[in-house]
Amino acid sequence: MSKESTQENKKLFGMLAEFANPAKLMKAAKLTNKAGYTKYDAYSPFPIHGMDDAMSLKESKLGWIVLSHGLVGFTGGLALQIWTNSIAYPINIGGRPFMNLPAYVPVTFELTVLLAAFGAVFGMFFLNNMPRHNNPLFNSKNFERATDDKFFICIEADDSNFSEEKTEAFLKEAGAVTIEKVYD
Amino acid sequence: MANIKLTDSLEFPDSASPMRLLISVGVVGVIASLVGVVVNTEQFLFSYLFSFSFFISIALASMFLVMVHHITRSSWGVTLRRIPETFSSYIWVFVLLFLPILFGMETLYSWTQEQYSWFYEGLREHKSPYLNTTFFIIRNVIYFSIWSYLGYSLYKYSIKMDETGDWGIDTTLRKISAPGIFFFAFTLAFASFDWIMSLNFDWFSTMFGVYFFAMSFQALFAILILMSLYLRRQGLLLNTITRSHIRDLGGWLFGFSVFYAYIAFSQFFLIYYANISEEILYYTARFEGNWEILAFIFLFGRFIIPFILLLPKKSKSNYKLLFAVSTLIVFSHLVEFYWLVMPPLHSSFSFHWLDLATFLAFAGIFMGMFFYFFKRQSMIPKNDPKLQESLSKH
Amino acid sequence: MSNTSAYVKEAPLVKGNHTFSSITALVGDIVEKPTPLWWYIAFGISNLVMAMMFVMVGWLIWEGTGVWGLNNTVAWGWAIINFVWWVGIGHAGTLISAILFLFRQGWRTAINRFAEAMTIFAVMCAGLFPAIHVGRIWVIYWVFPLPNQMQMWPNFNSPLLWDVFAVSTYFTVSLLFWYVGLVPDFATLRDRVKNKLAAKIYGICSLGWTGGNRQWQHYEKSYLILAGLATPLVLSVHTIVSFDFAVSIIPGWHTTIFPPYFVAGAIFSGFAMVMTLMLIARKIYGLKDIMTDDHMEKMNIIILVTGWMVGFAYIMEFFIAWYGGVEYEKFAFVNRAIGPYAWAYWIMMSCNVIAPNFFWFKKMRRSVTVSFILSIVVNIGMWFERFVITVTSLAQDFIPGSWAYYSPTYVDVLTYVGTFGFFFTNFLLFLRFMPMVAIAEIKMVMPQADVHNYDENGELLEDKH
Repeated sequence: MSKESTQENKKLFGMLAEFANPAKLMKAAKLTNKAGYTKYDAYSPFPIHGMDDAMSLKESKLGWIVLSHGLVGFTGGLALQIWTNSIAYPINIGGRPFMNLPAYVPVTFELTVLLAAFGAVFGMFFLNNMPRHNNPLFNSKNFERATDDKFFICIEADDSNFSEEKTEAFLKEAGAVTIEKVYD
Repeated sequence: MANIKLTDSLEFPDSASPMRLLISVGVVGVIASLVGVVVNTEQFLFSYLFSFSFFISIALASMFLVMVHHITRSSWGVTLRRIPETFSSYIWVFVLLFLPILFGMETLYSWTQEQYSWFYEGLREHKSPYLNTTFFIIRNVIYFSIWSYLGYSLYKYSIKMDETGDWGIDTTLRKISAPGIFFFAFTLAFASFDWIMSLNFDWFSTMFGVYFFAMSFQALFAILILMSLYLRRQGLLLNTITRSHIRDLGGWLFGFSVFYAYIAFSQFFLIYYANISEEILYYTARFEGNWEILAFIFLFGRFIIPFILLLPKKSKSNYKLLFAVSTLIVFSHLVEFYWLVMPPLHSSFSFHWLDLATFLAFAGIFMGMFFYFFKRQSMIPKNDPKLQESLSKH
Repeated sequence: MSNTSAYVKEAPLVKGNHTFSSITALVGDIVEKPTPLWWYIAFGISNLVMAMMFVMVGWLIWEGTGVWGLNNTVAWGWAIINFVWWVGIGHAGTLISAILFLFRQGWRTAINRFAEAMTIFAVMCAGLFPAIHVGRIWVIYWVFPLPNQMQMWPNFNSPLLWDVFAVSTYFTVSLLFWYVGLVPDFATLRDRVKNKLAAKIYGICSLGWTGGNRQWQHYEKSYLILAGLATPLVLSVHTIVSFDFAVSIIPGWHTTIFPPYFVAGAIFSGFAMVMTLMLIARKIYGLKDIMTDDHMEKMNIIILVTGWMVGFAYIMEFFIAWYGGVEYEKFAFVNRAIGPYAWAYWIMMSCNVIAPNFFWFKKMRRSVTVSFILSIVVNIGMWFERFVITVTSLAQDFIPGSWAYYSPTYVDVLTYVGTFGFFFTNFLLFLRFMPMVAIAEIKMVMPQADVHNYDENGELLEDKH
């Protein structure tokens, strides 16, 4: 069986277009956004400033995840110390009060930061669908350079506006250097 | 990068100047204070020291900010720089304003008097090589000469760059700033020992200079936000001091609120935890007689409330919120100085009308001087090499 | 002050005529090329030294803390000194990756990756000492608040317990921060290496990173938040380390400036260590275009500034020790300067306060030789600072009858030396198998990366090449 026919049996994932530099990518992303596509992404080896606005992305929700984790760390840490040292097993340490709140500040702080950091890292993984090792984009040989020096836009076939011909023509118009179909 | 043109007028118009208000406030304050000198000299001197500390802390923090700005070659605050530059340019005025403190030394500082309490036995004699009138005057002469020179030359060279457009002055400014920060750190620490720490001359804290600095630097960012918002309100520099500059100021305010809390907590905590009599009495005196109410006001006013309010990203560009938080912080800064200075005079908290009078006198003089100088030059360093970068900040 | 000085333009962050792909190649090739001979030699030596550390630790556990040079008054010796020294070194990594990031110092990108690696390995070395110094290491889990049959809980009033939380949080957060930074670079290596197994391993580590902007958005937010968390964290860690000393009432330990002073000292020594490592690494790997002399100069300025912060603290301590009028405090400080350990005190003073002053001069700041030598001098000085603080304050305590001179034993010395083996074993593995420069971040600070440097047709503007 030839390569072509294998691909025909596979599901089309999307249309991958390559762009020469960050400025062209940004311009194309703006056009894609304007054209009403929603299931697309702009791929680059480094984050490009202004791209969030170009794609009209909403503010990341990560802050809320971090805040909630931090609050759990804060209350949990404080509660742990108050319970263990002031209620369950109070010891007289040099005549200091059993409920020695200033002394509980360091550990409360550390636990707040620890939990908030867990929120920041694992929350980011969660929002980014990571780990996910079977991404169809990895089937494209050319896409390997997305982590080196090339810039891509992939419009996914699930998008309601997607049609093979029109999308291809659109991407060409937007200034793509090469266009290829990516199969799942 | 596309060049961004300055679209705003850089002249500070007379119509925007609150000079008339400031003069009337100042005159009322000065007259009331003069009455106070006669009526209650002791109270006047303490109130005066409290107002003096508050305003000079702003001028000194401004000077530090300008110097740091130069040596780090920062671009974010170029359009704002003229404000702190102006604040610190007239530190020489504080030489005159310091005279009442010098004349009233014997009332203010108990180390100038014989002590009879057993607790202080020998302590005053022990400290007298440092704490004596002559050396106190000499030290203050040194502090003020260094500061006046630094503040004035930073301002003068910056103005010169406005006029000549010579970018070489940028290098000169950096050459002043690097040793400037060095001398600033030591003079500020010892000045805070002399003016405030030695009010209770039995007490000592190695961190006191850092604490004084952390307080002042936090308050400075609040002041800068208030100043920028004032300019905006007058319709000035709308495209020069942009939302993103004010957002940055909000970020710094947040950061240095945390820094202040860290320093203030560390100093309190180490003394609280060790609980030895040489040190702890300072805090016990300030946690009784209703003084503790003030402590809670500034604990919440300059750390807890600002921390919560400034935490979300959005609040840093919310002008109304920034205005409220900054006002709260400036007020708390005032309260904290009150809490540091007044307890030697009153064992329990009581507000005196002279506190307000001296504050108004200083406010009139300090802000009046500011607008007087601010009006005479363009409101931003218009020929600064980093101006473009600062304008196109986003 | 002369008015004729010329305006000095800021140097570009990346030197040479680099493109995105040549940067990838510059860093990626280090990992891909066959292992050089020197690496095997260095790795072998490090392993031997590390083995020595394990032998010493084993001996300590077998025999007890008597094998150390501790005596009646000096109950905290080299173990604590080494702990503070190593953990302090670690702080520069966090400073570079977090604080300089928040201050938008673009030059940090050249050095942040291996400074962070240094942090992690240094904290591992540091963590060893408190763990083994407890004597009965088999009950070390008592430091954690675990429910147990004795119904006892750890004492949260104790600074040593705060240390447990601070150092373990610090290690965890540094590791996460480092890993988050590594994810896009692992993806770069995944797409680059020829070796199938290596590609698989890098692929697993990169967690399926694609570089889509929807990922970058959360990623950047996460990085910013982590930097915001790591900044107060790094202050808190060395502050809590300083609390170990300062909440006590031992003269020479109990002084309020300890928290910021310890933090400044930590950054001071950490930067010196980064400098040492950077100068070696850029020489061996030919990374002078990324780690330029301008980086060196900026770091030397930070060393000068933090050196003087430490000097400021020394002066304040000495002044207040006299000013306070507490006779024990006075004795402790005078004793430091002229007592039996005066030699250590003056080594500390000359290395930390006097030596960095060379960096007032631009020529010295830009000299590789001077920077290298001074970076080592500073770290010697900072070790002695901890020695002075720990030992001199304890050795002459309140009862002159119990005074005794403290000397380490061979076990003390060899354990300390051994930690270098442990450190370099890890560090060499890192240099060999991981991208030692943050590839994605370096690309981000290049002029080609900024869309403002392109014209309307998407061509790079002339002056930005």
